[in-house]
Amino acid sequence: MNDAEGAYRDPVVEAYKKGIDRTLLRANLKLTVAERFRRAMAHARFADELRRAGRELRSQQK
Amino acid sequence: MTDFEALLSTLDRNRVEYIVVGGAAALAHGSARFTQDLDVVYSRSLENLDRLVAALRELKPYLRGAPPGLPFVWSRETLSHGLNFTLDTSLGPIDLLGEIPGGGTYADLIPSSVELRIFAGATKCLSLEQLIRAKRAAGRPKDMEALAELEALREEASNG
Repeated sequence: MNDAEGAYRDPVVEAYKKGIDRTLLRANLKLTVAERFRRAMAHARFADELRRAGRELRSQQK
Repeated sequence: MTDFEALLSTLDRNRVEYIVVGGAAALAHGSARFTQDLDVVYSRSLENLDRLVAALRELKPYLRGAPPGLPFVWSRETLSHGLNFTLDTSLGPIDLLGEIPGGGTYADLIPSSVELRIFAGATKCLSLEQLIRAKRAAGRPKDMEALAELEALREEASNG
């Protein structure tokens, strides 16, 4: 990336940056790459379980 | 759910030439965003197409979202007649990309890739700088938030 590209600040991107939880990023940066992937897989398993529970709840409500 | 470890190990075991891009690359660089698939840019050499076919054959690849029963044949010919493939496999979804906007092909991206020591192997991954460049080039509204996070990661990393 050249200097001009690197220095460019898109106002839309800058607006989005204000909503980013940097504490999560700092915590991730302390992990190894493998730990980051393993954590993501654990999150995906949790998301799958939440979806399953949601489906079960909706079927009970019918 | 994508088993990143098993998918990457399968590609590496078969000596497939690829670079991790997209959400998984962002994850490697510290992103906190959720990603459900593995996006890779693969070399289009005939030798590599053969390696890719051999690697994924055992994982029963099928076109994601396509109705069951289509005559989809997983072969070098199929890969050579297309460029980008969005697949479901028994280890989870994987997107095989022949090239990406703002980055180009596997050969174009090699100089801006980094090597990750991960899961007892070495995997090429797009550098954070190139990832930012590719997101900017894509220019999709849905990428703005991801781009903001990547730039924040660069700032955090440079702050030490």
